[in-house]
Amino acid sequence: MALIEMTNVSKSYESGSLKVQALSGVKLSIEANEYVALMGPSGSGKSTMMNILGCLDIPTAGRYLFADRDITTLKDNQLSEIRNRQIGFVFQSFHLLPRATALDNVELPLIYSGLSPEKRRARAMASLEQVGLSERMQHTPSELSGGQRQRVAIARALVNNPSLILADEPTGNLDSKTGIEIMALIATLHAQGNTVIMVTHEADIARQAGRIVKLRDGRIESDLPT
Amino acid sequence: MLFFENIRIAFHNLRSNPLRSFLILIGMAVGIGAVLHVVVLGKMTQQRIDKRLQQMGANVLLIRPGVSRRHGVRTAESTVNLKWKEADELLEHSAALSHAVPVYSGNGGLVYGNKNWSSQITGTTVDYQFVNNDFPVEGRFFNQDELDQRRRVSVIGSTVHKELFGERSPIGETIFIKSKRFTVIGLLKAKGESWTNPDNQVFIPLTTAQERLFGAAHLSSILAKMRSSEDFEEALFDIETVLRRSHRLSEDKKNDFRVRRQDFFLQAVQETNQDLADFIIVIALVSLVVGGIGIANVMLISVTERVREIGIRRAIGAKKHAILTQFLTESVILGILGGLLGITGGMAFNHFYIGEEALILWDWVGYSFAICAGIGVVAGLYPAFRAANRNVIDSLRYE
Ligand SMILES: Nc1ncnc2c1ncn2[C@@H]1O[C@H](COP(=O)(O)OP(=O)(O)OP(=O)(O)O)[C@@H](O)[C@H]1O
Ligand SMILES: [Mg+2]
Repeated sequence: MALIEMTNVSKSYESGSLKVQALSGVKLSIEANEYVALMGPSGSGKSTMMNILGCLDIPTAGRYLFADRDITTLKDNQLSEIRNRQIGFVFQSFHLLPRATALDNVELPLIYSGLSPEKRRARAMASLEQVGLSERMQHTPSELSGGQRQRVAIARALVNNPSLILADEPTGNLDSKTGIEIMALIATLHAQGNTVIMVTHEADIARQAGRIVKLRDGRIESDLPT
Repeated sequence: MLFFENIRIAFHNLRSNPLRSFLILIGMAVGIGAVLHVVVLGKMTQQRIDKRLQQMGANVLLIRPGVSRRHGVRTAESTVNLKWKEADELLEHSAALSHAVPVYSGNGGLVYGNKNWSSQITGTTVDYQFVNNDFPVEGRFFNQDELDQRRRVSVIGSTVHKELFGERSPIGETIFIKSKRFTVIGLLKAKGESWTNPDNQVFIPLTTAQERLFGAAHLSSILAKMRSSEDFEEALFDIETVLRRSHRLSEDKKNDFRVRRQDFFLQAVQETNQDLADFIIVIALVSLVVGGIGIANVMLISVTERVREIGIRRAIGAKKHAILTQFLTESVILGILGGLLGITGGMAFNHFYIGEEALILWDWVGYSFAICAGIGVVAGLYPAFRAANRNVIDSLRYE
């Protein structure tokens, strides 16, 4: 069985009288250890798709199986648990807690998994080391550069050994040089055996992935290996 | 685990907004402080009332000269004098009274050896001890012979004893009262201070007081004891009949004496005390409600300020109840801090306002603490519930 199995997934938003069809009838299957790039023009539904993949949101129609579990039937608590233990999310705007140190930010998912403080600390430190930030553990986000912040976010995504790493435009807020470093880090994560799905606007970044899925108007336009 | 984490987060947030946190606590603190103050004050007044009730014999009426205006407001001491023979007439005439004791009181200096002291000197008759249930613990009260013969014998209160004799037995000693030699024959039991100090008194035969010490033919008051509290109406009627006749008051004249029932007076004090307490309790409750609303308000603001944080925590796996308890913990801590501030503030206020003897009622401290924590829970519930039930994606995208 594939890690991700989407059949006829649709998502619509209703804002007032207006109904926006963000996704319509998406069928997608992704195996463990794949590296998939998600592309498409602005408003095509990439982020919507990532949110559903990451169990942050549920489809309005269709079926989404993640690791053989039907996400649409799960309760909020179960979704939280999946997000906590199986999914690592990297956002375009980092989404770090501003007043917490890098170490505290990385420890955060482990707090909700109920790990002891000693284990939390050890795992968070290892994770920060993995992204090359051992020297910056006690700094708060405002004391870090954009690239360093995104490294902290990646360390946080890694810290629970997730089955899936989702990155929605991880280089979107970074200059091109820092962006290249972050992409190299993500490529390494994939090489170490992680499943990675990444949204990007840039074709040469997408080419690093093994497979490119293109969205247009909430539908899959193309799905090709690189 | 999450519990300690929540406490840590709560203090972290309170510290990052110290002024706001403090301002919010003041409302709670004032409420709790006021409650503690009123409760302590009420308890202490009640204790004094109880003590006073023990000090004076029950069912005692105090008859003093003076025109009684409305509600017993005292007028300038009148020229009317109460007489010893009137006390005897009262007892003779009224079946409702068991005793009627004449009293003449004045202040005077006492000397024993090289010690000086000043106290109330009360001249009275043998029956005084029965009216007030006030019997010597050492020695004896003076007797009828000593009264008839104007003997210079004295029965002293415990304060006088302490000041003049210290620990020593005073019986048989010679003291000077207003420079006249007296023998101490009795020591009364200590009754304790209430509004006045009844222990700072010396009792001597009325004859001695009137003729040898003060040169007065009249009385300060008459203490009349009723046979039972139901006899009050009858006793009052009898007293008025006897005294009006004796004072030759015509129909249109008001009484030139006042009758006060001591326990009634205390009842009035008690009621005033209670009214005041009720009033302050209401104010305290209002300020607690206001404090609670303040906490709720600050928590709502806090939730709004931290929408993104909520989104982040939820996105990385915090369950709804984790968010709920996080905010609830924070508001309970606010409540508790408000309570502690109020409790310490209230105690400090009691200490300065009432003094060293201010009671510390630990049970009420406990209640206050619990009430504040409870207010924290109630005030925090809605904001915490709102926080927990926010949509994750909307929270993450919130600007
Ligand atoms: N919460 C929402 N409420 C209403 N409409 C929404 C919401 N989220 C997304 N949409 C709409 O759904 C459509 C898809 O949005 P989505 O964010 O998935 O696009 P995207 O491909 O990620 O675009 P971009 O490249 O700009 O990030 C858009 O038309 C957007 O306006
Ligand atoms: Mg997007």
